[in-house]
Amino acid sequence: MYVAHRVSADHKDLIHDVAYDFHGQRLATCSSDQSVKVWDRNENSEWICTASWKTHCGSVWRVTWAHPEFGQVLASCSSDRTAAIWEEVVGESTDRQRTQSHWVKRTTLVDSRTSVTDVRFGPKHLGLVLAACSADGVIRLYEAPDIMELSQWSLQHELSCRLSCSCISWNPSCFRGHPPMLAVGSDDSSISSGGKVQVFEYNENTRKYGRVETLLMVPEPVHDLAFAPNLGRSCHLLAIASRDVRIIQLKPLRREGVLSQPVSPGRFETQQLAQFDGHGAQVWRVAWNATGTVLASSGDDGCVRLWKANYLGNWKCVGVLKGDGSPVQGDGAGSAQTVPGCANTSGGPITPISGFPILNGNHAIRNRLPCTSPYFLPPDDNLRSASRVNAVPLPVPHPLPPLPHPLPHSAGNRIPSHPEHRITRRMSSNIIWSSHDSANQ
Amino acid sequence: MSGLKPDILWSPQHDNKFIICDSEIALYRMDPVAAPAAMTSCHRLSEQTAATLLAINSETPYMKCIAWCPRHDAECLLAVGQANGRVVLTSLGQESHAQVKDLTCKEFIPKHARQCNTLAWNPKDTNLLAAGLDKHRADFSLLVWDVNSKYGVEAAAATAMPQFSAADRGRILLTPEGDLGHIVMKPLAEFGQNDACLSIAWIPHNSRLLLAGMHRNLVTYDLRDTSQKQLFANSKAVQGVAFDPHFNNRFASFVEGQVAIWDYRMSEKPVLTLNEPPRQLSKVAWCPERPGLLATLARDSGVVRLYDMQHTQAPQGDDTEPPIIERSAQPFGSGAVAAFTWIPTSQTRMLALSQARVLCDFTVFERIAFAWGPSPALLWACGRHLYECEEKSGVVGKVSMREQDVAGKMKRRALAGYGLETEIVWKNFQLAGDQDPQLKSLWYTLHYILAGTDFSFPMIKFGTGTLESQLPPVYHGVKILVKSESGKTESCVGAEHSVEVVTYRSEARSLALQLCGWRPCGNDDVDTFLLSLERFNEWERAAAISLFNLKIRLAIQILQKGAASGKGVRKLPRLIPGYTDDRASLWREMCGSLRLQLSNPYLRAVFTFLTSEVGSYDGILNESDMAVRDRVAFACMFLNDNQLFRYLDKLTNEMKESGNLEGILLTGLTQDGIDLMASYVDRTSDVQTASLCMLQVSSFVIEEARVQHWVESYRDLLDAWRLWHKRAAFDIHRSKLDPAARPLQQVFVSCNFCGKSISSGGTATGHQGRSFTQYNVGGSPIKSKVTSCPGCRKPLPRCALCLINMGTAASPNVGEEEDRLSQVQKLSQFNSWFTWCQSCRHGGHAGHMMSWFRREHTECPVSACSCKCMQLDATGSLTSAQLD
Repeated sequence: MYVAHRVSADHKDLIHDVAYDFHGQRLATCSSDQSVKVWDRNENSEWICTASWKTHCGSVWRVTWAHPEFGQVLASCSSDRTAAIWEEVVGESTDRQRTQSHWVKRTTLVDSRTSVTDVRFGPKHLGLVLAACSADGVIRLYEAPDIMELSQWSLQHELSCRLSCSCISWNPSCFRGHPPMLAVGSDDSSISSGGKVQVFEYNENTRKYGRVETLLMVPEPVHDLAFAPNLGRSCHLLAIASRDVRIIQLKPLRREGVLSQPVSPGRFETQQLAQFDGHGAQVWRVAWNATGTVLASSGDDGCVRLWKANYLGNWKCVGVLKGDGSPVQGDGAGSAQTVPGCANTSGGPITPISGFPILNGNHAIRNRLPCTSPYFLPPDDNLRSASRVNAVPLPVPHPLPPLPHPLPHSAGNRIPSHPEHRITRRMSSNIIWSSHDSANQ
Repeated sequence: MSGLKPDILWSPQHDNKFIICDSEIALYRMDPVAAPAAMTSCHRLSEQTAATLLAINSETPYMKCIAWCPRHDAECLLAVGQANGRVVLTSLGQESHAQVKDLTCKEFIPKHARQCNTLAWNPKDTNLLAAGLDKHRADFSLLVWDVNSKYGVEAAAATAMPQFSAADRGRILLTPEGDLGHIVMKPLAEFGQNDACLSIAWIPHNSRLLLAGMHRNLVTYDLRDTSQKQLFANSKAVQGVAFDPHFNNRFASFVEGQVAIWDYRMSEKPVLTLNEPPRQLSKVAWCPERPGLLATLARDSGVVRLYDMQHTQAPQGDDTEPPIIERSAQPFGSGAVAAFTWIPTSQTRMLALSQARVLCDFTVFERIAFAWGPSPALLWACGRHLYECEEKSGVVGKVSMREQDVAGKMKRRALAGYGLETEIVWKNFQLAGDQDPQLKSLWYTLHYILAGTDFSFPMIKFGTGTLESQLPPVYHGVKILVKSESGKTESCVGAEHSVEVVTYRSEARSLALQLCGWRPCGNDDVDTFLLSLERFNEWERAAAISLFNLKIRLAIQILQKGAASGKGVRKLPRLIPGYTDDRASLWREMCGSLRLQLSNPYLRAVFTFLTSEVGSYDGILNESDMAVRDRVAFACMFLNDNQLFRYLDKLTNEMKESGNLEGILLTGLTQDGIDLMASYVDRTSDVQTASLCMLQVSSFVIEEARVQHWVESYRDLLDAWRLWHKRAAFDIHRSKLDPAARPLQQVFVSCNFCGKSISSGGTATGHQGRSFTQYNVGGSPIKSKVTSCPGCRKPLPRCALCLINMGTAASPNVGEEEDRLSQVQKLSQFNSWFTWCQSCRHGGHAGHMMSWFRREHTECPVSACSCKCMQLDATGSLTSAQLD
C-alpha cells in the first residue's frame, strides 16, 4: 500500500532529477530552470528548501550526492557541456535554524565537448570518484586525490563507448572480489549500432577500465539504467529502462573454492531475469530501493510502477501510481484490469449521428500503445524468458591459494564513517582547549 | 477533391469547444464524464472526458482552409477559404449578436480564382483577415480583407466585374441568396505579386505586420506601406508559419521532413532545425500553455512528435543548437493520426483524430524522475512538482507483514534487537516478528549448536590443519557429524506392541538428534521435547515424533489430548490402536486410503510409518512439508550408514540450491553453510539474518570474504537508516567474536603541558595506550576520576562552560529548568563525557555543550572564538532515527 503526497517544489521548469542523500534526510532536485535546490527534512518530516542556486547555463540533467563521509558534496551535469562539484559551507549564515545553507562550486569539469548527460559518484570504498558521461560517447572518470581539497579533480580515465551516452551506473558492491564496474546506456536510436548497454570493469593488471560486456539483448535506445544495491549478493542486478523495463543479472564466473577472485576478469554469465512492457511505451527511469528488492520505473504512460520478485524469483508489478500521485483506478497491483487488452479503435461500436462522419465511442482509447498481449506478461515461464548468453564453460586453471585475511576497506579506516565519531573532516592528534585564564575569575 | 484534409480547431473563446472540419464543419463540446452509462449521445474521448456534438455546418463546399475568428462577441464565426479562392464567413450555432449576423455569409472574392491556401485573422484588429492564395500570373497572392468592409458588389461591380470570368460572374449572379451586399471584392491590401502564398502569420507585437511564407522565401509585409516587402529569409521551410504564443519573436515553419525555428530578430538563418522523418508534415503547433513546446504531425503517421525547447543561452561563437527534449506520442498505437490540436486548459494535453474518425483525448506525460530513499520512501518529480510516497504498512494486516519488502522487515527487526540475543538464541526468532519457518529453524539450530559446544569427540577427525578442524564438532552440521562414526544396529521392540524395528545408534547420531532438538542436551529422553511441543499446540508433530520413538501409547495419548483441546484431529486417535502387524489387513488398506486425505504432513507420516514395510521409509523422508529437522532426526534413527549419508547429501544439496535456511542444520557453520547462506542471500537479500547468524556462533566463518561482505553491507544499511545505536550494538557484538573488526583508536588525547597521552593514567603500565579503546576517551566518571595529567600532574583542560577540570562529573546545567532534570539524569553518563570541536578544539562536558548549542547560540562558548562548531557538520543535524 503506497500513499503519495505532494511537495511544492517551486521550480520554474521541468524537474529532471531528484536525489536523496545517503540518509534520506536531504534531497536535491535539478531542473531545466538551470538551478539546483537542496531540501532538508524538518522535525515534522516536511521538506524545506534550504538552498536554491543557479548552477549551469543550461538545463541541469542530473544531480547526485557523494557519500556523507566526504562531506556534503553534490555533483550536477548540464547541457552546457559541463559537470560541476558543489560543497556546502557552513558558518556563513547567522541563523541557527539553518534555514538557508550556502553551496560553493568547487570545480567545473569542462572536458566534454557535448552535453554531459549523467554524473555519478562511485561507491565509497573507491574514494571520491566521479563518473560523467556525455552525448559524444565518452565516459570520464575523475578522482579527487585529496578529499580535503575538492577543487582538485584529476581526469583518471577516459572510456569511449562510441555511442551517445545517456546514463551511467556504478556497481555499488563493496565485495573485494568484485572489481570496480560501471554500466553505460546509450540513447542512440539506430538498431544497427548494436547493444545499447556496455559494461566496463577495472582491470587490476592493466590498471585500466575495459569493456567486458555489451548487452546485445537491448538494441533499443536506453534512457536509464541502475545497478541494484548489492547487499551481499554474489551476482549483480542491472535494471534497464528502454522500450521496456528489463532486469539483467550479471553473474561473475569464478572457480569454486577461490571465491574472492574471479577466474578471469570480465567473464559473466548474463541472464535476463525479467522484461516488462507494463508501461506500454518508452520507459524513462528505473530505480532500486535500498535493498535492491523493489524496482521502480516510470514511463510514457505517466505512471510509476513498482516491481518486486516473489520467493520464486518471478518479478511482478506490486503497485502503480499516476504521476500526480493519485492511485490508478482499480488499485495498484490489480491494475491489469483497468486497461483492456487492446485499444482497437476501428472495430468498436459505431454511433452514427446525423450523417456526420462516425466517431467511435470506444472508451478503450488510451494514451498508450495498444497491448496485443495481456497487460502484464503472464508469470512464470513467459516472464522468465531467460536467455543465457556468454555462458562459456571455462577451463579451470590451477587452484590458487586462498587470499590472506581480508583487509578492512582502506577508505573506511581512513575516515570513520560513523557520524558520532566524526565531527568534521579535519582531525588531528592534538587538542587545545580553553586554556584561557578563566580560573582566575 | 473533397476539400481540406481533416483538421481540429480549438475555440479561441471557449475552453471546451472545438470543431472538426473536413467536408463539413462540426462543433463539439468536451465535458467531463458524469455518468458513463447515461452518456449515449456522446463520444468518449478518454476515461474522463466525452464530447457532445453541438452543431454541423455543411453549407460551405470546396473548403481548403479554415480560421476561427478570435473576436469575443462572435462566438463561432469561422472564415472558410475555398478552392476557388473565395473566403466565406460562416458561423455555427445561433449568433445573437446583430453585428455578427451581418458578417456571416459574407464572401470575399479575389480577382482571379485559384486555391486559397491559408487564412489568418489578425489577433488584435479582428476585422482584418489575411488570405494566402496560389500564384496566378501577375496577380497578388496575399490579400488582406476587412470583414467590416461595406464594399458591395454595387461599388465594386463596375470596376471588378469585367475581370471575372464568365462562369464566375454567372455564379455570383445566380447565387440563390444573391444578396450582393454580402460580397466583398476589394481587399484592404494586396501583397505578393507574381508569387504564391503558402502560409501567413500576423506578427504578435505589431498588428500591422504580416509574415508570409511565400514560394521559397519568408517575407514580411507592412499594412502601412503596401508597396514594400521585406525579405526575411530564403528558405524552403515556408509552410505553417506559426508564432510561439510565449515568445513573441520565435516562430516555426516547416517543409517536408524539416521544421525550422526562427527568431524574428535574426533573419536569414533559422535558430534551430528539427529534422523529421522525410515525410510530408501536415501540422506544426505550439503548445498554448507551456513555453517552448512544439508538436508536429506528419501525414499518414501515427506519431505526434513533441519538441521541448530548452531555454538556453546561445554559447558564444559556437553553432551548437540548444538542446531539445524530443518526445513522441502514439494516441492510436500504430493507427495513423489525421489531425490533432492542443487542449488549452492543461499542459501537454491534446486531442487527436484518427483516420478512422476516432477522437482521443490524451496527455503526453512528463518524464518522471524519481529516487528511493533508504527508509522505504519513493520520491518523484512530475513536471514541476514533487511527490513523496511512503509505504504504509500499518494500514494492512498480517498478510502484508509477510509480503512486506525485506527492507522494511529488516528495519523492523533491527529495531526489535533481532539477532543480538546471545543467551537464549532461539528468542531471536521471536524478535524477528513474523512466523517465518526458515528463520525459526535457523535460530533453533543455532541454539542447539551453542548448547552442544562443550560436547567433544576426541576420536573424530574433522580434516587436518585447517581452521575448520579446530571448531567444536557441533559446528560441522549433522551431515559431517554422522559420517564420523558408523551407527550400530539395534533392534528395538516397541514397548506396547510387538513391533520389530531396526534402529541405529552412535554417539554422533545422538548428538545429531540433539541438534535436531529431539533430545535434550546430554539426555536420551524425548519426553521433554514432546512436552514442549504440546505446549505450543503442535499435537500432530508431537504424536509423530513420539511414534517415531516407538512410543505408540504416548502418541495416542497426545492425539487424544489434542482432540480434547480442540486443535487436533478427532477421529485419528481411535485408528492407531488398531495397528496390526498383518501386512494385508483391512486396517492397513483403510489407513492407506485415509492417508491421502490428510492435510497435515505429520499425520501422513504417522500412517506412512505404520503401514509401510519395515526399512522403507521413503514416504516419510520425502515428505517435503515436514520440517527438515524432523526428517533428519528420523533418518538418523532409522537409516543405515549408507542410506543415511546418501539421504543427507541429497538433502543438503537441495537446501543449498534453494537457499533454505533449514539446511543450516545439515551444513553447520562451515564453508557449506556459507554457501547455503550465500544462496539464501542471493534469493532474499536478507543480509541481516546472514550476518547475524554468522556472528552468532563461531569466529572462524567471520574471516570469510563473503561473510565480511554481508557484515559490511548490513552496517551500511544501519548507517543509512540512522540506527546508530543498533549499529553500535552490532559492532560491539561483532568485535567480541572478531577482534580484528574492532575499530582502531581514532582519538588520542594528550596533555597540553607534557604532550603525553592522558589515557595512560588509566592503565597500570603507564605507557601510551595502544590497548586503550575509544570508549574511555575523556574518562568515564566511574573509571578515571583523574583531573590532572598522569604524566606531569598538571591539571587537565577545563570545560568551557562550568570551568571545572576534565575528568569530573558534570553538574546539572546552570539555569536548567527542573523538569529537565530527569532527562539529565538519564543521560548523565554521556553528559559528563568530554567533547570538543574538531575545528577550534574548544570543548567541555557533552551535556553542557549540548545545552549551549541547543539554546540560541551558534558560536563556540569560548569568548572570542567565532567557530560555529555545531553547524560544521551536516551529519550533526541528523538525529538518530530511534533513540533507545
